[in-house]
Amino acid sequence: MAQSVRISLVSSDDELSTRIQLRLQSRDYQATITSCLDSVVGNFYSDPPDLLIIDLSENPAACIAIINTLRSDSFFSVIPIIGLVGSAECSLLQWDDCPLDDFVHLPLNFDELFCRISLSLSRLKRIFDNNPLTRLPGNTSIQRAIEDAIGKDLAVCYVDINHFKPYNDIYGFSHGDEVIRMLSRIMFNAVRDSGGGFCGHIGGDDFVCMVPLAQAESVCRTIIAHFDRIVLDLYDEETKLQGYYDGTNRKGEKEQIPLLSISVAVVPMDSPKIRHYAKVAEVAAEMKKLAKESKGSCYVMDSRKA
Amino acid sequence: MDDKRSELKKIIMDTKTLPTLPGVINKLNMLSENEKSSVQEMAKIVSSDSVLSARILRLANSPSYGFYRVSTISNAMILLGVNVVKSLALSSSIFEIMEKNSVGLWEHSLAVGVASNIIARKLALSECEEIATAGLLHDIGKVIISLKCSEAETAILAAIREQEIYMREAEQLVLDTDHAEVGAWLSKSWFLPDKLSEPISFHHNVIQSDTHRVKTSVVHIADIIIKASGFGNSGDIFVPKIQQAAWDCLKLSQELLAEMVEDIEDKLIEVKNFSLEIQA
Repeated sequence: MAQSVRISLVSSDDELSTRIQLRLQSRDYQATITSCLDSVVGNFYSDPPDLLIIDLSENPAACIAIINTLRSDSFFSVIPIIGLVGSAECSLLQWDDCPLDDFVHLPLNFDELFCRISLSLSRLKRIFDNNPLTRLPGNTSIQRAIEDAIGKDLAVCYVDINHFKPYNDIYGFSHGDEVIRMLSRIMFNAVRDSGGGFCGHIGGDDFVCMVPLAQAESVCRTIIAHFDRIVLDLYDEETKLQGYYDGTNRKGEKEQIPLLSISVAVVPMDSPKIRHYAKVAEVAAEMKKLAKESKGSCYVMDSRKA
Repeated sequence: MDDKRSELKKIIMDTKTLPTLPGVINKLNMLSENEKSSVQEMAKIVSSDSVLSARILRLANSPSYGFYRVSTISNAMILLGVNVVKSLALSSSIFEIMEKNSVGLWEHSLAVGVASNIIARKLALSECEEIATAGLLHDIGKVIISLKCSEAETAILAAIREQEIYMREAEQLVLDTDHAEVGAWLSKSWFLPDKLSEPISFHHNVIQSDTHRVKTSVVHIADIIIKASGFGNSGDIFVPKIQQAAWDCLKLSQELLAEMVEDIEDKLIEVKNFSLEIQA
């Protein structure tokens, strides 16, 4: 391994955290200490660690609030969090409200802590269907979310990028990946700011999000407006002005390739014809076809009654 | 002499955060308590503050997020999300509060940002928002010097008064470097894109700016107009000359400059009110 694992320690007990830090460093982990609870979230966001250890013995309520905040952003929710708890408090914890990955009893048994750390890190590799690039949930979670939504007042939005392949071919995969990650953040933040919902990454440039039906159009408009804006950062002045660049299309012919844009197909889940998962994808495909007919970014919602 | 420079450079490479005006933090605190507060409202407050703006751009461009070309606050906020920006802003309030005497520099930075935007629009340049951000950040090096070398700062201020020289000359005397170079180091270690780091590094030496000379020239002119207007306090007691390279690069004329000055003077009244509101 080229770089050592970075662990962030949160505890108001300075003696304890210094001791843990020393032991971690002796095992080649990098360990940083945060003793003030108010700065945990900010520090975490500005320099996300590979694993977080948090001492819940002093101020459990505040710590649990922090854990929930960190978990609520899928970008960070994959980072393992290990709690340090006294054996008496342990049975009092409501695990549903305290989304830890693991815990270790206080007073601390260091051998156990090291095992828990290795276990948490290896579990990460095993169970996640999250897309490694965007860290959004993948197909298993998407299918489950859509099946749960059938018949409810929700809308499923299928989002994909227009003219993505030629962009990738010309500007290279790393730039292509950056666009994918940008779209994932734009969608995630738009859904979150509208009051919450679900975001998933099917693969490649295909995404799904789900929001209450009443919010669907405004979320689509936000995603489109933000994407169209951000995309301008990706091109040089000349390309931006003329609105296209020279490239090769799918058939291998020279062509003027338009700037990247997105198409969104919106499927309301309360429609009687939506009875199973496959039907959702089928309706989405029809809407997508319509959306692709227009130039630039747009969304199309299925408003047919039957 | 060389030691002093490399020592300062090392300090900057280790700098992850810088202090912010308490008023800015309070305003953001108030906004964040209100669930309904919008991205635009937050962006307006954030983009009045050079330090906070730099921190947010650093995060968006850092390997953790890996968006390598984000150079405006609104785009950074779209990608990072309101929650991340809020937490980042609020986490800076706790230990590090800027001193009252920094208000002058804060006002100067804000005004140069605003003036850069006006000039860029007047000349119908592209990327006005990026230029405004570069203007806002152009003196970030002074913030670091003031914070990390407070003894040197006293000597610099004394040299400016006693020897009647420009601040950069005084900085060179005392530190063997200046705020433009310090700003350049910070830009590099904070992953800021070239569009921003070039104007920061060369706003006193336009001819050295290759790729983004237009942006650098705008910031150079804006800096001088604001110094001449007497708004805020950049630290200089004299107004420097406009460099020929900047004048040529923007194809300026006396008339055009006069119009710009007038537009900027008008806008400064609004900026002053905003600044008073922040300090209230």
